[in-house]
Amino acid sequence: MSAVAATMRAAMREAWSNRASFWTQMSAMVMNDLVWVVFWVLFFKSAGSVSGWDRSRVLLLLAILTTGAGIVLGLLSNSRRIGQLIAEGGIDAALALPVPTLPYLLVRRVDPVNFGDTFFGIGLFFLACHPTPERTFVWLVGSALGALVLLGFVILVGSLAFFTGRSEAGDLGFQAILLLASYPVDIFSGATKVLLYTALPAAFVSVVPARLVEHLTLISALELLVAAGAFSLGAVGVFTLGLRRYTSHALWTRA
Amino acid sequence: MSQTWTAIRLAALRTVRDPLALLVALAFYAVVASVISTLWRSAAHGHGGTIAGYSAGQLTWYLYVAEAAVTALNPRQIELTGEDIATGAVSVELLRPASVVGLRIATELGRCLPRLALFSVIGGGLAWWAGGAPVRPDGLLLAVPSLLLAVVCNLAAQHAVAAAAFWIRDARSAWFLYQKLVFVLGAMLIPVELLPGWLAATARVLPFTSMAYAPARLAAGHVEPHLLVLQVFWAGVLLVAAAAAFAAGERRLQVVGG
Repeated sequence: MSAVAATMRAAMREAWSNRASFWTQMSAMVMNDLVWVVFWVLFFKSAGSVSGWDRSRVLLLLAILTTGAGIVLGLLSNSRRIGQLIAEGGIDAALALPVPTLPYLLVRRVDPVNFGDTFFGIGLFFLACHPTPERTFVWLVGSALGALVLLGFVILVGSLAFFTGRSEAGDLGFQAILLLASYPVDIFSGATKVLLYTALPAAFVSVVPARLVEHLTLISALELLVAAGAFSLGAVGVFTLGLRRYTSHALWTRA
Repeated sequence: MSQTWTAIRLAALRTVRDPLALLVALAFYAVVASVISTLWRSAAHGHGGTIAGYSAGQLTWYLYVAEAAVTALNPRQIELTGEDIATGAVSVELLRPASVVGLRIATELGRCLPRLALFSVIGGGLAWWAGGAPVRPDGLLLAVPSLLLAVVCNLAAQHAVAAAAFWIRDARSAWFLYQKLVFVLGAMLIPVELLPGWLAATARVLPFTSMAYAPARLAAGHVEPHLLVLQVFWAGVLLVAAAAAFAAGERRLQVVGG
């Protein structure tokens, strides 16, 4: 485990070594997220409220999503590239090392641009989401569990590349869950809504934690906990199964 | 000119010959367009059926077409072009007896044409299914050339922005901000009519509306042919700007050594 921690420290130092780039990228992401706030403000100014969602609820959703997604995609940046690494043989370099493959791959690369998301999410929560000690605690735990669902899902769909040999499904899954998690799930109905609570668990990444911050219930908290556990275990399971049948592409430079 | 057509044709063929990637792009487009149009339809229904002169059906057509115009392009084109410039890879292209930026834009246009065609057909079907028949078929007809012009404007602008890498050597973050300008000032996510007065006025004098709003507005049934004239104007301006930026940058790259 110390090797994995050391790898993460090295990745952090690598990202921090170019300070100007670090701050520029982070600022760009904050600007990017601000545009979404502008969009939602304009949208609700025109629309009033939609399916029970208003401006303040959506800003809370956005604060949770950006905090969690920033942690996953910033600190564990390779999580979104697992499919590409597998399809292009980029995991070969990791296989030769005496460290657990998946944790090593996840911590090997840090992406400063996504720290901007976390920075933005924290700022948004404290500025626009009425923080009280109880709400802040639930926001932190909810964001962490939502991040775990996101992490599990992107690893799971990325690991499908072990079986298909291509990474497009993983890329699409990653884009789809982020997109769908940034909208209120209640605008959907029927099969789409069921999908967002099951196979494409976008609801657990943002909407369920947002509901918990507003109205904490044991059932919803347990549902989120179960979803986080299930997708984490599923991700490790599919990656491990896939790794057993992996054939090297002998490309050593992408991990 | 024949080089340009050849570049377009070859790039289009390369896209068509990778049907899985095309299918994934289509799936992504369908998800994005259906989500945002569902949101706006819900808003229209909760608002008495229309918002700022757009019915729920019109908003559906608007958003499917606006998304097609934007998602048919590689969203990270600025980053990729900037990387080629920063790493010096572009210097190899200087050896060709053809305009670097001209061939690059032609190649990207060729790459996105099959996607644009597919998104337009499937997106049209989905919009019809979700929002009903188009209000004005003549508007939809005008949206076809408008979509093409939207893509040309967008590609030219992306290359003009990416040329900044000749000087600052890093255009990685620029695509984020550029994309958001298209989303808001280009009215991809929200029609210009719904922007606050000052922002709408700003959007109307900038080229971004030619990249999404123009074809979307036409497809939504607002038959305003002047939008096409405006697109032709901006396409010309942006192509000249991209050519000028690359020409200046290439001179600098030769000095630096690539």
